[in-house]
Amino acid sequence: MKGKRSPFLAGLLSLVLPGAGQFYTGQRYRGVAILLGTLVMAGTVVWYGERSWYVIPVIILLWNIWDAVSLANRGRGRAILIPVAAGLLAAYAIGWQVVQIDFSNADMNRAISILRPMLRPDFIQKRTEKNEMWVEIQVPCLQNPPTGQNELNGKKAIIIPNCAGVGETVILQVSGLWPGMETSVWWEDPSGQDKMIAPGESSMLIVTTDDEGKLTTVFPVPTTALIAVPDVNISPPHRIYVRQSRPIGGIEFSFVGGEVVKGAVITVGMALMATLIAIIFAVPISFLAAHNLMSGNPVTQVIYLIVRTLLNILRSIESLIIAIVFVVIVGLGPFAGVLALALHSIAALAKLYSEVIEGIDPGPIEAIRATGATWPQIVRFAVIPQIVPPFTAFTIYRWDINVRSATIVGFVGGGGLGFLLIELIRINDMRGVSAVFISIAVIVMAMDYISAKIRERLI
Amino acid sequence: MLRLENVSKVYPNGTKALNKVSFEVADGEFLVVIGLSGSGKSTLLRCINRLIEPTEGKIYLNEIDITAASPAELRRIRRSIAMVFQQFNLVKRSSVMNNVLSGRLGYANPWLSLLGIWPEEEKQRAIKALERVGIEDKADNRADALSGGQQQRVGIARALMQEPKILLADEPVASLDPVLSHSILQYLEQLNKEGITIICSLHFLDLVHRYATRVIALKDGEKVFEGEAKEIDRAKFKEIYGEEAQEIRAATL
Repeated sequence: MKGKRSPFLAGLLSLVLPGAGQFYTGQRYRGVAILLGTLVMAGTVVWYGERSWYVIPVIILLWNIWDAVSLANRGRGRAILIPVAAGLLAAYAIGWQVVQIDFSNADMNRAISILRPMLRPDFIQKRTEKNEMWVEIQVPCLQNPPTGQNELNGKKAIIIPNCAGVGETVILQVSGLWPGMETSVWWEDPSGQDKMIAPGESSMLIVTTDDEGKLTTVFPVPTTALIAVPDVNISPPHRIYVRQSRPIGGIEFSFVGGEVVKGAVITVGMALMATLIAIIFAVPISFLAAHNLMSGNPVTQVIYLIVRTLLNILRSIESLIIAIVFVVIVGLGPFAGVLALALHSIAALAKLYSEVIEGIDPGPIEAIRATGATWPQIVRFAVIPQIVPPFTAFTIYRWDINVRSATIVGFVGGGGLGFLLIELIRINDMRGVSAVFISIAVIVMAMDYISAKIRERLI
Repeated sequence: MLRLENVSKVYPNGTKALNKVSFEVADGEFLVVIGLSGSGKSTLLRCINRLIEPTEGKIYLNEIDITAASPAELRRIRRSIAMVFQQFNLVKRSSVMNNVLSGRLGYANPWLSLLGIWPEEEKQRAIKALERVGIEDKADNRADALSGGQQQRVGIARALMQEPKILLADEPVASLDPVLSHSILQYLEQLNKEGITIICSLHFLDLVHRYATRVIALKDGEKVFEGEAKEIDRAKFKEIYGEEAQEIRAATL
């Protein structure tokens, strides 16, 4: 150790300015690090404004004096465990409050009301056959009311009376239905909208048929029946429907299930189209972004730099953000998603392709040239075999990534499963949401597996 | 006969790789080029088939000036000058068969070859070439699945497809162990006996003594020795390789 340092002076310096004592003993980096660390910690605590936390920078300050004295005394400082632990403790505690971690808001019942339907994903349902019947009624009573009767395929429906005002009671009699079964009855106004005829939340009345397949029920003409009718004096008739349905064995896609399948096809298709579009642009661009091809003269070098910079900028913008822009330009739907994914993929693929080109082995090119081959033959036999397998591998990998991104892009209106998912969340159909989740997981896992297998073979 | 007259090469960065090198190679010779790494051996070999353009000088093959050849003529000349490389220079992802067939590109129908279609007789020729180097059973393997010695044999088979008059070998055994070195050089010796002129750069003195009919030595791009292999003794070797150089013996097999 060169030159004796005064422990007292070292301690005093560190008290006045943290790290100064260490600096004085010759440990310059340590001194600067302690100064910066103390300043950051003190700044954080002061910014947070909680008095009790001031103890942390004080601990660090005291440790810093001790450290400086030790350095001057024996040439060796104290373990940095203490200030690091104190700093981490403060960071953790402040971080906890800054991000508002608070479990008191958690509501298990709400969680269960969402999660329980998710256990039964709405994908498939039992196949059913339907038995339907209707009869017309005039509201309010005008000239030439309908007969109030309807006969169809051995079924007969009668409404009494055949015309009525809003709120008046009517009697419905239907015969020829399947016996002993729950039957839904509902009201449709002339524009085809359902109107509430049952108390409670459902717009349907549920009635059970008797042993002979007959039902009789009484209900008032819905108070809302005329809301959508522009002119009550020339109103076309309203209809009362009855419907039974019974399983006939086997299963089929539910309505949501069908939509999920359609969405899945669109999502994979979006990813595929985006990747194909990206290939067309990325292949030529990648040659411009390959250092070994473009370092020949200043002009190509400038092109290289410009292309590289553009690709880097484009690559740093999330496809979700690009999708929002394209939704504005071309409207909602898969096309906007495809364009967003394609733009992002062009940048990503061009970069990967250009790295393949940069990594090409010049040996085979030289060897094929030495055989007396022409330029196209050299490209065909020495260049293409080297770049096509990695190009293909990267492209499939990109398709795989694009399938994931396609679901995300759908959230902002890009179509496919993402769009369906947002719609289902809006109408609170958690069984449908669950079906979408499962299909996303299956597709992503399948793509991941397939692309890994293919890439394994190519590289 | 191959004749070089005052061949020089200056690279764009100013490096003088060759300086007025002249010599003749008679048909059927096994000429070995020795010299330190960076002495210009590789540049010299590549100037002969103009993989590297010499900046000065003339190279004649049977009195035809290679340095003045048009691109089409040059390809025709290259066809008769095969080359094997230190790093084998195979297309690693392609099959052994495709690597060997690519040696025939100088003769092939340009359109069919671009489609990767080869006539049956060329495929037979490739099988025969692989049989000559003893690896016909590897025809369908990927080139990078082979060991170093096997890859160099594929390189020789590819060269054979050219039915060459001259074979340039740029340190063909520098990446191989001594046992394999001998086996590869014995293939070259066999081809030499069948009338192919061999121009080969080597590093090990005992390999030079064993295989060369004649030797030239390069130092800093200049020819510093030309003569028979037995004329190179330890003293000469030190002169070529510098005072500190120790002769490293390849295994005495």
